[in-house]
Amino acid sequence: MFPRKWVILIVVLGVLLVSCGGGGAATSGAKLNVFEWSGYELPEFWAQFAAQHPNVTVDFSFFGEDAEAFAKLQTGFQTDLIHPCAGWWQLYVDNGLVQPIDTARLENWADMPEFLTKQGEFNGQQYFIPWEWGYESILVRTDKVDKVPTSWKELWDPAYAGHVAIYDSGETQYMVGALALGYEPFNTTPEQDEAIVQKLIELKPNLLTYWTDNTELVQLMASGDVWVAGSAWPETLMLLLEEGIPVEYIDPEEGRMGYVCGFGITANAQNVDLAYDYINAVTSLEAMTYLIDEYGYGAANAAALDTADPETVEMLQLADPTILNDTVFYQSLTPERREAVVSNWGRVKASP
Amino acid sequence: MLAKSSIGRRFTFSLGAAYFVLFTAFMYLPILLLVVFSFNDSPTLAFPWNGFTLRWYAALAQSTELIKAVWNSVLVGLLSSLIATVLGTLAALGIVRFNFPGKSIFLSVAAMPLVIPAVVMGVAMLILFTMVGIPLTLWTVGLGHVIINLPYAMLIVAARLAGFEAHIEEAAMDLGANYWGALWRVTLPMSMPALVAAFLSSFTTSFDEFAVTFFLAGSDTTLPIYLFSQLRFPSRLPLVVTLAAIMMLLSVLIVLAVEKLRRMST
Amino acid sequence: MTTLAPPIRTAAQAEATRRRRLLLIMGPPGLALLVFFLVPLGIMGLYTLRSGTLGGEMAWSLDTYRSFLANTALQRLLWRSTLVSLQTSLLCVLLAYPIAYYLAFRAGERRMTLLTIIIIPAWTSYLLRILAWKLILGSSGLLNTFLLWVGWIDQPAPILLFSQTAVVVTLVYVWAPFVALPIFAALDRIDKRLLEAAADLGSPPWYAFVRVTLPLSLPGVLAGFLSVFIPTLGEYVTPLLVGGVNGIMYGNLIQDQFVRALNWPLGSIMSLVLLVLLLPMFLLFRRSDDLLQR
Repeated sequence: MFPRKWVILIVVLGVLLVSCGGGGAATSGAKLNVFEWSGYELPEFWAQFAAQHPNVTVDFSFFGEDAEAFAKLQTGFQTDLIHPCAGWWQLYVDNGLVQPIDTARLENWADMPEFLTKQGEFNGQQYFIPWEWGYESILVRTDKVDKVPTSWKELWDPAYAGHVAIYDSGETQYMVGALALGYEPFNTTPEQDEAIVQKLIELKPNLLTYWTDNTELVQLMASGDVWVAGSAWPETLMLLLEEGIPVEYIDPEEGRMGYVCGFGITANAQNVDLAYDYINAVTSLEAMTYLIDEYGYGAANAAALDTADPETVEMLQLADPTILNDTVFYQSLTPERREAVVSNWGRVKASP
Repeated sequence: MLAKSSIGRRFTFSLGAAYFVLFTAFMYLPILLLVVFSFNDSPTLAFPWNGFTLRWYAALAQSTELIKAVWNSVLVGLLSSLIATVLGTLAALGIVRFNFPGKSIFLSVAAMPLVIPAVVMGVAMLILFTMVGIPLTLWTVGLGHVIINLPYAMLIVAARLAGFEAHIEEAAMDLGANYWGALWRVTLPMSMPALVAAFLSSFTTSFDEFAVTFFLAGSDTTLPIYLFSQLRFPSRLPLVVTLAAIMMLLSVLIVLAVEKLRRMST
Repeated sequence: MTTLAPPIRTAAQAEATRRRRLLLIMGPPGLALLVFFLVPLGIMGLYTLRSGTLGGEMAWSLDTYRSFLANTALQRLLWRSTLVSLQTSLLCVLLAYPIAYYLAFRAGERRMTLLTIIIIPAWTSYLLRILAWKLILGSSGLLNTFLLWVGWIDQPAPILLFSQTAVVVTLVYVWAPFVALPIFAALDRIDKRLLEAAADLGSPPWYAFVRVTLPLSLPGVLAGFLSVFIPTLGEYVTPLLVGGVNGIMYGNLIQDQFVRALNWPLGSIMSLVLLVLLLPMFLLFRRSDDLLQR
């Protein structure tokens, strides 16, 4: 009924499949590994690269939060390019996870403003190339709420109970809490930290859920489950407007939050030349214009401000220096400070 | 008295039957709804019914990420199930045929992966791989699956081995075979249904495994990891739903096969 | 002279051969379990003696123990998660018992077929079953759009999604069929003649149930209860998908430590605490399983 030949057959089959799988990968041509936020894999961003290297596959892996990306890299995740945000850049450099970048090989280096590129410079060498900078602010479904919020404090308004979603990140919520309480972020005393924790716990009855992924938030707001996102990235705004959903990106009286993110080449990258070509492709005028038009982010390639859709630039105040002045940018945290902020967030999440 | 109890019996019988039907409906309804709506001509999973279409199935065939994930899951499933079955069979042989000090401790340890929460398993193995410097790949996922499936494979084969003549190997050896020959030519074929059942059950577990895999996967994803990442995006759901329908069918077939084998081996 | 008879050996030689075979047979699985199961758990235990986060400075200290003991929020979360698992397991037992009873006592010849029918959905993909619930209950999901289309409601009702209730409901849906199995096994084993005897002695059916059936089925009930309780205690996938803010369970925070907070020592202690709590359960499970086999 079941001759032992079957055993041999299964073993042989198994070995064949495994070796075929491995062999298949090797003969399919070169591959560039990019570790990205989900949403940035769009071919429009790297069209120049695809044209230049038609036989190279770009393999994307995704993460939803900087900590997740760092943890993976620190535990040996293999990739060529990473795209973390500035608050973490120091950590990557200190842990030897990235290699210095030769800016002479970058086609669009001259068009990048210094206030952005300076952040990626450590120990006299450039480790990160800025790509996008953006705001983080409140996003509202204007058709669902009676009153549009004008301050971070209003996230706590019971009128929005059960329809607020916030980003599941200790750093972000620490900022939101600090701004709502009128503290100066990155300069809080332990008593203020405790007050922030309590304040965040008080927000929980208003929350529907935490969002961990930008596209998740888009779905939640599109379906009308979430009326107020505190906070959201500009790309959520653009994607919702594209679907015809009435939303507004708020300018809170305490100021918006802001961040810069960019590309680094990993220390053990296997395709360094391809990595440079990829960076050149995504920082090209076309790609960066597309970024502004589609996602509403600020682009590192300053020339793109002129080629982008003026309405978008206007709506997001990308060229407006006064907004930038009021914006609170994320700063690098020391590991100890980060641990405190994150552990406080853990307490908020754990409390009933 | 007889009449009363038989009416009572019939009442509880129909009550029981009604409950059974209700329970079964509750179990199947969500799944069936998914299958039915995978044929719906609408971009989201919602009423009303827009017409019958196969376009989602066609789109499925073109979704390279998805196909790659399925292929990875099949590879990991096959190889890890093979190893788990082999190791489980060896362990079963040891448990059933031998006595040694620490046997019950071994049995307890071997059974533990069955009841350790997945998050702890995943985390512990992640720590191991990190410390030793092994990068996360499909191989690390496979190792995790082997450990998860080993206990159950062992139990299935042990149940079978315990069921027949304890001295069968000796009998074969009396006829001139050596020990390993006896195992290969006599014991193994006789336990084949249990081995195949163990293999299939390991495969279905591995194919659907998410909680531990999440911690051990690198850039190559398995199907459950891919599914999880898609669960947040309802707009891509029609594809996921069609995949669900296909997977349901396959699971049903495999479960039926395992059941048949299990019954054949007892 | 034939060579059929095995060569004569001394007792010591036979024992040495036996040992060699045992080593070759038990070696591979033993090694696999040692290296990929016990050692990782051991290293995790060692991590509890360190403090600090990935990327920063890690040092040997008992600080992590201190901070866990001081972290009452985490402890209360553990308690609440235990209650969720308890609720889930009890509900599973309550829902599965009648099914098992029906199959064992009323289904007759078709019992194995009917059992298989119940088990099939349980063996289909776990994630997809959760997905099915998400899709049905969501505000743009099947239930709501159906009610809207039929005209029973005119606004989508945010039922059940993103709450602790949603987590319990989903977990019960996933685990109930698995609980039916051991209870059925226990009930099936009961000698029907005992019940006939009880009836002959004049006891009404419900009394026979309480005094005979129920006690004899308890090992199966216990096994079923524990087979849900133990894994759901560390559950993190379901709360992540349908739990929202209030459905967060202990397992989610363990995952957080390793993926977000990068606080491996804290995550290790949390896992260790979970294992320590589960140990008596596990021993109980083995015991009930032994009772069941007899």
